[in-house]
Amino acid sequence: MNEVRRLLPDRHTVSHPASPERLRERGFDQALAKAMAMSSEAIIAEIIASGIKGRGGAAFPTGLKWSSVNKAAGQTKYVVMNADESELGTFKDRVLLEEDPLGALVGLLIAAHAVGARKAFCYIRGEYREVEHRLARALDILQQEGWGGPDAVDVEIRRGAGAYIAGEETALFNSIEGKRPEPRVKPPFPTNKGLWGSPTLIQNVETLANVAVLFAHDAAWFTQYGTKDTAGTKLIALSGHIQHPGVYEVPFGMPLADILHAPDLGGSLAGSGRLGAVLLGGAAGTFLSPDEVATSRLDYASLGAVGASIGSGAVMVFDDTVDLQWVLTKLARFFAEESCGQCVPCRIGTQRIMEIAEQGNLWTRNQDLRALSQAMRDASICGLGQTAPLALLSILDRPGLRRDA
Amino acid sequence: MDTQDSAVYTDVVALLQGLPRDRAQLLPALWRVVEHYQALTPEVIDAVSQSLGVPYAEVYGVASFYTLFDNVTGQTPVHICTDVLCALQGAQGLQEAAEAAAVGMPVSVRESACLGQCDYAPAAWIGAHIIRRATPEAVAAAVKAVRHE
Ligand SMILES: Cc1cc2nc3c(=O)[nH]c(=O)nc-3n(C[C@H](O)[C@H](O)[C@H](O)COP(=O)(O)O)c2cc1C
Ligand code: SF4
Ligand code: FES
Repeated sequence: MNEVRRLLPDRHTVSHPASPERLRERGFDQALAKAMAMSSEAIIAEIIASGIKGRGGAAFPTGLKWSSVNKAAGQTKYVVMNADESELGTFKDRVLLEEDPLGALVGLLIAAHAVGARKAFCYIRGEYREVEHRLARALDILQQEGWGGPDAVDVEIRRGAGAYIAGEETALFNSIEGKRPEPRVKPPFPTNKGLWGSPTLIQNVETLANVAVLFAHDAAWFTQYGTKDTAGTKLIALSGHIQHPGVYEVPFGMPLADILHAPDLGGSLAGSGRLGAVLLGGAAGTFLSPDEVATSRLDYASLGAVGASIGSGAVMVFDDTVDLQWVLTKLARFFAEESCGQCVPCRIGTQRIMEIAEQGNLWTRNQDLRALSQAMRDASICGLGQTAPLALLSILDRPGLRRDA
Repeated sequence: MDTQDSAVYTDVVALLQGLPRDRAQLLPALWRVVEHYQALTPEVIDAVSQSLGVPYAEVYGVASFYTLFDNVTGQTPVHICTDVLCALQGAQGLQEAAEAAAVGMPVSVRESACLGQCDYAPAAWIGAHIIRRATPEAVAAAVKAVRHE
């Protein structure tokens, strides 16, 4: 058993991704009909039973979030689909929206119904123009089929304009409100005070697609794949020195080695053919050594044991000729560029790391870099500043990965 | 500023037709004018400010945050991804080809961070179109085609 296609349609599917036929073939019309006839509490109970966790990076339990927004005081509530996807090596939401845009939208409508929101936003990165077009078409189909519109939930697509930080949930709210996309201090959390100070449910594209397939089936079906701790499947964005780069859907618990080597997945290494390292989780992810790759599985417990996490599902493969100091320098420039500058440890810290990287001193300034990272982790207000040094730290912890070591 | 009579102001008002006069429409409004002019000059920003009723400094503060609005010359941007995965697949050659083709053209070649197309690296982005598994020839041809778009 290798690839499992649930979120991604079957490879034999021929209907247009944004068509009424697709809506029916995927069982999404029935999913909507079923959910709309259910109470908020019943919907949320089903999500909790499924064990879905957020697929945008933090793996927060989805049912718990819906329950908080549902219980939060306030007449006006909002739901948001986060399709900002702007982190290095991350492209699974793009492929999901290209191949099956109705799924995530159906999940969004179910979410709006469950928490009592009348207004929804899809926030999509500005570079994904063709994807945005397809999403708009899928939205039209839902409207034509009688599932959208001002009487039900009004869904608006918002196009970002090139700011990685706008993907952070509270920065995204500011962006929608017409302000600078700078993160807000938490608490208060979005579940209580999000868009315009009202309770807001924000989910990643893939999380919402999971909701759609769940309601097209049920929790028993949903939990047939995955591990004891994490049910279901995960989209993996595979890139770099690999025979078949692309997005693959695999059950949680799959060995990382299979993701790289199975003929219907990565298909084996490219480049020199010898694995140097894997950067797992995105720009703020963890570099894993070939030995760690050989023994780890795609689940939070297995990866936690080597200090890694799944993040957004980015798996970047580097052969043994790639100088990881070069990769780290690129990452450092990215974070220095994308820090919004509101907090000092992040603004100065990302800048200092970039300077040290550019001077080629990453391996000699070990102690300074650790102290700097600690300050950034402790005193930054959002995830960017808190996690920007993670990939660097992972190499400081694995001296064997340095090519000059 | 006394721009209410200017041609730009009239054009911007027409471009923003149908958008509610609301702060929350600032990002969609900026996209409309950028798609029309490419450039965000002080005059255009002022016209957006007047027609949405949002102070100039606020409009400028928001617009200047976003990389895709960073254009004062009005040249068509050609984004070449030079991030890690594309660099491994020859992005450097694309950048050189684009720059050579752009000489004398109303085009500005820009290095971009990951475009979310790493499965088709190297990637470039021009206008509304992504070029996947880009070659120097494909990028040069896209640059040369700009004038006729
Ligand atoms: C700097 C930064 C960028 C982020 N970018 C994204 C993004 O592009 N897409 C996304 O879904 N979540 C992103 N997140 C996470 C969101 O803040 C939020 O946790 C997520 O959308 C919640 O959805 P989920 O529970 O379904 O994962 C980002 C977080 C940070 C700190
Ligand atoms: S941690 Fe960095 S990106 Fe986040 S709010 Fe602070 S300065 Fe901005
Ligand atoms: S690194 Fe170029 S598209 Fe991702």
